[in-house]
Amino acid sequence: MTARMRRISLLVVAVVAVVWPALLSDFSRSLATDGLIFGLIVLSLVLLTGFVGQISFCQYSFAAVGAFTVGSLVSAHHWSFWLAMPLGVFGAALVGALVGIPALRLSGLFLTILTVAVALFFDRFVLASGTWNSFSGGLSSWVVGRPAFLGIRLDTSYRFYLFVLGVFSLCSLLVWNFRRGKTGRVLRAIRDAEVAASTLGINLTAWKLAAFATSAALAGLAGALLAVSIGSVSTGGYDLIHSLGVAAVATVMGVNSVASAAAGGLFLVFGPEILRHLGVSSQWFNLITGGLLIVQLIVTPDGMVTDTQQKIRHLLRHRAAKRASETPAEIDLVSANGQTAGAPAPAARPVRTGGQR
Amino acid sequence: MGALAFNSHLIPGFTVIGIVLGGVYALAAVGLVLIYRVSGVLNFAHGAVAMFATFTAYEVSTVKGAPGWMGALVAIAVGAALGFAIEWLTIRPLHGRPPLVKVVVTIGWLLVLQTAAGLIWGATAYHQPVHLVSRDGFHLPGANVTVGYDQLTTVIVALVFALAVAALLRYTTLGNAMRAVADNPDTARLWGISVNRVTAASWMVGSAMAAVAGVLITPLIAFDTFSLTVVVIYAFTAALIGRLSSLPMTVLGGFLLGLAQTYPRVFSSLSGTADLVTFALVLLTLGVLFRPGGRKVRVV
Amino acid sequence: MTRTRATLLEVEHVTIRFGGVTALDDASLRVNAGEIVGLIGPNGAGKTTFFNCVTGVLKPDTGRVTFDGHEVGALPPHRRSRLGMARTFQNLQLFSGLTALENLMVAVDAHTQRGMLADAFRTPLARFEEHRAEERARALLHFLDLSDRADTLAGDLPVGLQRRLDLGRALVGRPRLLLLDEPAAGLDTRETAQLGELLLRVRDRFNVTMLLVDHDMALVMRVCDHIYVLDFGKMLTEGPPADIRQNETVIRAYLGEAVS
Repeated sequence: MTARMRRISLLVVAVVAVVWPALLSDFSRSLATDGLIFGLIVLSLVLLTGFVGQISFCQYSFAAVGAFTVGSLVSAHHWSFWLAMPLGVFGAALVGALVGIPALRLSGLFLTILTVAVALFFDRFVLASGTWNSFSGGLSSWVVGRPAFLGIRLDTSYRFYLFVLGVFSLCSLLVWNFRRGKTGRVLRAIRDAEVAASTLGINLTAWKLAAFATSAALAGLAGALLAVSIGSVSTGGYDLIHSLGVAAVATVMGVNSVASAAAGGLFLVFGPEILRHLGVSSQWFNLITGGLLIVQLIVTPDGMVTDTQQKIRHLLRHRAAKRASETPAEIDLVSANGQTAGAPAPAARPVRTGGQR
Repeated sequence: MGALAFNSHLIPGFTVIGIVLGGVYALAAVGLVLIYRVSGVLNFAHGAVAMFATFTAYEVSTVKGAPGWMGALVAIAVGAALGFAIEWLTIRPLHGRPPLVKVVVTIGWLLVLQTAAGLIWGATAYHQPVHLVSRDGFHLPGANVTVGYDQLTTVIVALVFALAVAALLRYTTLGNAMRAVADNPDTARLWGISVNRVTAASWMVGSAMAAVAGVLITPLIAFDTFSLTVVVIYAFTAALIGRLSSLPMTVLGGFLLGLAQTYPRVFSSLSGTADLVTFALVLLTLGVLFRPGGRKVRVV
Repeated sequence: MTRTRATLLEVEHVTIRFGGVTALDDASLRVNAGEIVGLIGPNGAGKTTFFNCVTGVLKPDTGRVTFDGHEVGALPPHRRSRLGMARTFQNLQLFSGLTALENLMVAVDAHTQRGMLADAFRTPLARFEEHRAEERARALLHFLDLSDRADTLAGDLPVGLQRRLDLGRALVGRPRLLLLDEPAAGLDTRETAQLGELLLRVRDRFNVTMLLVDHDMALVMRVCDHIYVLDFGKMLTEGPPADIRQNETVIRAYLGEAVS
């Protein structure tokens, strides 16, 4: 996509994102807000799985760190949200780095097992009600009110939505900047050929840990915002199934695209809602997500969003090439599935798996 | 923190529970390792398959009133069918793709099976366990503990099935074919072995074992859709102790895990100690037994 | 012909054993500044082991490896790059998900200081370094005649171009010594000849010394100033191409393999 086209489409999206929700009901607006918050968790996976190629099935555990930090500090100890939130994010980053340490030495499969074990451990031990009751007088009393931002209380659904939209946009921009810059290159280099990256002088340990920490921080931020959005914190919403679900949605959308974050988050929120409208139990959502995941891995391994972006890019390039009336051979140079026509089979082929390795 | 006290009189009773639990874990783990070694896929849906099959047993016996053993047979059939379906429909089309992709597919199946069971039988409802044998027991001389017949049956059944699989692998044609494919699928193909059929068979046998494990475990843990699904992690841990390759070590790992999960309750009634222990063991095995540069065990 | 230039790399009496097998037996080798030195030998001679020893993947059991006066025997691979040693890979190890341009830019990135934070907010420093990295990468692409493929994913390039990119990646850091691991593997005669030309141009343009390990006799004979021959872990002989070509011991070692 040319820079101009991208700028225009971003502008359109921005206008829609700001204006349309003003016309919606409170309920739809709060759904959209939650969608963006979940989008942050998908974004954390885009960073970790899309860039570094590390699978994680425990993002909600990091979110829980953020949520519980905010919940306990704001509700039971009466801290300001603006102090509790950074602490929650930092705590999540710390836990992320801790999980990253064993992850350094583990290859794909065992890393997956580790993150599942972490999720289960968090869910059944760390977050078990017994552990937390003693910390501050019972979870049921953890009510988190809406904070005030620059003097304005975010107590209407539209104001809170705009705030979350701002946070989400900022984070998306940061991840996008990562991708365009040194961070994205280095992380993807580590993903593709660790040994070569190390030979060039790249410190694998530092970068991998930083990636884990940043990814966890994003999830932690989402957790903190979730605590405010829901207004309370409970142990139920951060379990393994949630982590698996968000990972599945991220994969279905495509972990290689920053745009997947918004798409994935909104899907997670409006999917069950649509089902409810159709008169179907929202429980079906996880089933459909699982099914989509299986189908997507077989059919469009890059993920729906990434695939669509590639198709658009290809279409535009094709049209531009036609306009410049170049020879057909030039167009074949990079076709949609990466085959280079008329050349001997390359020794190293990029394996399109939506970022999982 | 829960009450911390040393309740030594609980040790014999907990030993029995630990062994029974361990037997079930061992059984599930053996099935998991079989699937992994032959097809190269670590089946995250192993527990979900067990869960779903067990619920069909529940439907047949507890709900519809058929005898327990019939329910168990139905579970085995359903388990094998599910294993075959997963392999044939969704693993085989991914031939040639990185192994991690196949693993993620099983995650998809986990979600599907878990939710389906929740929709059919209710996600959070507590269900009566499936009883195969009477709950009466006998008193173990010398130790102050009563061993239930159902507990004894569980351990015996688990061991019998584990031995049966070992025998299958050692003495039958299919078993030899499985070992050949586990070693090197390409060479096995050259020997005329139908790798596809053998792989499908391994999934069926492995999943059937998971089903049996599921049925056996229902009296011991909370019988709902979630708890059974996550038993897969315990099976994983046992399989990791067996380095994902040695069946005897896997069985041992299962018993070790069962006891390690149960004994801490002698000291504390803190909920989730089982998961704490499991987590510690996972870290330990991953760190110690799977050092990079160590013996490569068809690592994915 | 005497070799009078300053010694850049010195491998002295290196022995490496794996269990009962002696992969390298008292092997010694010298690379002087500005030279292209070749290491040849039949299959199983120990060339890969020798290469791994020089690059730091393996530590010698006995003996010493000295680079530019520094003893590097114990230094891990990623530290050697900072000393001025770079290498290419037999199996390429390209960053297949990055474009050709990005592959080269990463090599520059590896030596910049800025961290994730600067990247995230695109600080002036980040933008400046980014621009510079792109310039350096593009210049190198131009030298390698790969400019038209700048935005092609490295994994999509044909093998010949991938090898060129691998070479470029090693050159970005302006190394003093370039270690080439079977650079002609997978190339046909024409491409090998092109590679030879490229190596000579690289040597002249970048003033980089090279140690080349390969099977391809045409390439080695054509490009190298000095050749060492390895067999069964021992250095059989050494000398300029003309001598090696006619050396009886060498020919026998190859058991009649055609030495063109």
